[in-house]
Amino acid sequence: MRRGLIGRLLGAHPVGTAFVTPYVVFLAAVFAYPLGFAVYMSFHDYFFAAPGAVVERPFVGFDNYVTVLSDPAVRRAFGNVLIFLVINVPLTVVLSLVLANALNAAIRWRTFFRVSYYVPYVTASVAVVGVWLFLFNSNGLVNSVLGPLAPDPSWLVNSGLAMPTVAIYVTWKQLGFFILLYLAALQNVSRDLYEAAAMDGAGRWKSFLNVTVPGVRPATTLVVLLATVTGANLFTEPYLLTGGGGPDGASASPVLIMYQRGIEQGNPDVGSAIGVLLVIGVLLLALIERRFVGKEES
Amino acid sequence: MRLQAGLLAIALAGSLAACGSGGGGAGDAGAAAKARGPIKIWYSNNAEEVAWGKQMVAAWNAQHADQKVTAQEIPTGKSSEEVIGAAITAGNAPCLIFNTSPASVSQFQKQGGLVPLDASYVEERSGDVAQQYKSPDGKYYQLPWKSNPVMIFYNKKIFAKAGISNPSLRTYDEFLATSRKIVASKAAKFAIYPAPSNEFFQSWFDFYPLYAAETGGKQLVADGKATFASDEGRKVAQFWRTLYAEKLASQEKYTGDAFVDGTAAMAVVGPWAIATYKGKADWGVVPVPTSSGKPAAEIHTFSDAKNVAMYSACQNRGTAWDVLKFATSKEQDGKFLAATGQMPLRKDLATTYADYFTKNPDYKLFADQASRTVEVPNVPNSITIWQTFRDAYSKSVIFGQQDVGAALDGAAQKVDQLVKQS
Amino acid sequence: MRLRFVALLIGAFVFLFPFYYMLIGSLQAEPDPSVSGAFPKPGNLTFHNYAEINKAIDLGRSLINSGIFTGGVILGTLVFGVLAGYALARLQFRGRGLVFNLMLLIQVVPFQLLTIPLYVLIVRSYGLADSYLGMILPFLINSTAVFVFRQYFLQLPAELFDAARIDGASEVSILWRVAVPLVRPALLTGVLLTFIGPWNEFLWPFLITKQQDLQPLAVSLSNYLTTVSSRATNPFGAVLAGACVLAAPAVTLFVIFQRRFISANLSSGVKG
Repeated sequence: MRRGLIGRLLGAHPVGTAFVTPYVVFLAAVFAYPLGFAVYMSFHDYFFAAPGAVVERPFVGFDNYVTVLSDPAVRRAFGNVLIFLVINVPLTVVLSLVLANALNAAIRWRTFFRVSYYVPYVTASVAVVGVWLFLFNSNGLVNSVLGPLAPDPSWLVNSGLAMPTVAIYVTWKQLGFFILLYLAALQNVSRDLYEAAAMDGAGRWKSFLNVTVPGVRPATTLVVLLATVTGANLFTEPYLLTGGGGPDGASASPVLIMYQRGIEQGNPDVGSAIGVLLVIGVLLLALIERRFVGKEES
Repeated sequence: MRLQAGLLAIALAGSLAACGSGGGGAGDAGAAAKARGPIKIWYSNNAEEVAWGKQMVAAWNAQHADQKVTAQEIPTGKSSEEVIGAAITAGNAPCLIFNTSPASVSQFQKQGGLVPLDASYVEERSGDVAQQYKSPDGKYYQLPWKSNPVMIFYNKKIFAKAGISNPSLRTYDEFLATSRKIVASKAAKFAIYPAPSNEFFQSWFDFYPLYAAETGGKQLVADGKATFASDEGRKVAQFWRTLYAEKLASQEKYTGDAFVDGTAAMAVVGPWAIATYKGKADWGVVPVPTSSGKPAAEIHTFSDAKNVAMYSACQNRGTAWDVLKFATSKEQDGKFLAATGQMPLRKDLATTYADYFTKNPDYKLFADQASRTVEVPNVPNSITIWQTFRDAYSKSVIFGQQDVGAALDGAAQKVDQLVKQS
Repeated sequence: MRLRFVALLIGAFVFLFPFYYMLIGSLQAEPDPSVSGAFPKPGNLTFHNYAEINKAIDLGRSLINSGIFTGGVILGTLVFGVLAGYALARLQFRGRGLVFNLMLLIQVVPFQLLTIPLYVLIVRSYGLADSYLGMILPFLINSTAVFVFRQYFLQLPAELFDAARIDGASEVSILWRVAVPLVRPALLTGVLLTFIGPWNEFLWPFLITKQQDLQPLAVSLSNYLTTVSSRATNPFGAVLAGACVLAAPAVTLFVIFQRRFISANLSSGVKG
């Protein structure tokens, strides 16, 4: 569509440029420099120095990337985040759509339900993590209820279960927001379509599949993208919930490793390389997802 | 398209230029060294230290109206190093920070963030202990200020409940036997509860004190090589492995204080905790165990020191140096000891403040211990080294997924590499 | 119908229970990890944990700071973010694709990667250390919110805009009179989303402000959680009480506004 407009100088609605200018200035003023800087650092032997200090920061090509990619801890962290996404994204999409659909109907206690599903999202992780630790440790309430079915070693110290537990925690924590996105989208699905489906004799399940799901497709694209992006940037949860990515790095995420290497250990060059790789990875994932889920753009 | 790209380029160029020109923060070092005037300092946010810091600043300001000190709190623990690191880079660090972790000094020094201090004052005040705080270039970038020699605290009530009246915790065998008895009798859920999480500094409160004791005062790295892949290192690691394997210690992170809550019968902490335990736990204290049960007078331990450093962003370094001397004078150190119960890193501590230790016999033991403390090695990549060690320790000792000896060997190889890089 | 209600009820239990547990724990004089600890016992209830927080931090001042920080961000996002979202969804202009891709890129970048360069930029080049503006600036326009706005403007039927344009309405008035009223739930979603970030943000305001009288609630509380709470008579209770204090304003605001997130007559509005 844009192809036809190239001939004109500013497009059909030049006022659009004015509309986005504040946002673009903001991005340039706040993000362009640090982002460019991060890429620059990842190709140099870089560390932060006091203003005025004379230090050498030679160009090292892809050295930092080699360091990062040959580090088993980093590779494991990328693997961990994939496990996380495989659990978290489908679960988020399905649960939030189903719950939003249920909450959209006229049911008793609707307000109560809505509020209860949003509360985790509204609360800071720092605040909730303490309770989760309490619930999921070996003598916690969850294991007491499960009795002999409780896993050993317990959830957060079990190398097979730590990442899934974190993924479920994040699903639980973020679900309210995604429900909200779907609820807003559901308002735009025309009633007529449901009526037509009912006339054709479709049951509730059929009309959910044939009317609701296609009707909220743009929202689904959004949910998938946002869930992937927030999941890939996972940091607070392994930092707080599993004591720095434990057990034995089983729940370490790339951002956690980036934070350790870049900020704690003073190697921002290596940290940036991890960050740049992560950004590229997520962009690729987002592209693939858009191909599969989203067709709104045409 | 072109418009936005242009805007981006302008903004980018603008911010780069601004950054380049803002580099004059350090100024002329020679002139700054003598300059006097108002300065800023930061101290930790621990309640007792804040109280001491406020009176120290007030006392100084009362005498020096033209060289006013303004003080702020920064957090202890996790985020203070980040804050200091960012402030160094931005050039807005204060003159003095009374909460500089020795493990970060090599990094801050490499960043050009620290000012070397007058060695004669440092050595005069701290005596032989000072040597551990010297940087590889032979200068002092930190003033060894105060330590918290860590020891084993035990809960008398829990011990009594387990039927132990006179705890024997000197050798590993005794320590393990006592621990088993406590857990078997259900007097407490765990014998001891060091944080099992993966932060680089956690080894300071499980492996390192026992290692210092076992080796008679060796640092983790000495003469450019890792020392821990030795018989002593393996013994210490194996000792902790046994505690974890037999579930005498927990692999799980705890919210709250396991010792105060009575979840654990013992804790590895320094004297700062005494104020915390007041009225909540009836405690006794013994030195950390060794495999052969060395006498208390020979036991070394981890110092858990926090030091004072002067930062290069400081303009009025003459004043900063005077304040540093004032704050670490015999009088102020005495006030610090009285207010916080932490040990000023001065030689002859026990005799200098004999009055205090007669009045507070609880602290006497820590004063003795303070003369035999081991600091983290002052080497490049210090934090990376500790994280490397912690990763191996966590994998083998806490979670038992690798042989302890092999894990220590592997970590030692990596640490040797890290020490060589600068 | 009944099945759905029961399922929702079970779900609500799963979602609310940790918060209930948090509240009970914060009111306990002594921590009780057993199953029976999940039920309030009159003898073990106290407001002491809250009294200790009130003693340790200046709640009023912290709340005001949080309000200024969060309010600034919401204002910025609503004004500039809606403009950008609308333009990206409904207007054809040069560079639209570039801006859209930039917006996506910014969302993908983890904040931890930018923290220190950003800090240096804002403190050294812009000179905004220890100021509200420095605190607000990196969050001023929430890119996720812009994305959400764009997505909902995109969902509105094209005929609506064509009709308004034919009537000769300016883009500003189309946005203000036609589009914004129709996407009100999305706007509120955007506000909620924007609100959460700065309200719970800890590291950034902490880096940028060393003066305590500028620090927002999340900073003073986490300061309290890491150091002061261990002195409390019941450290675990103190931690949970801190968590409740941080959560309460956000939850309250949400409960007040929740009705407005869904506008029931929207679909009829679109049709008409």
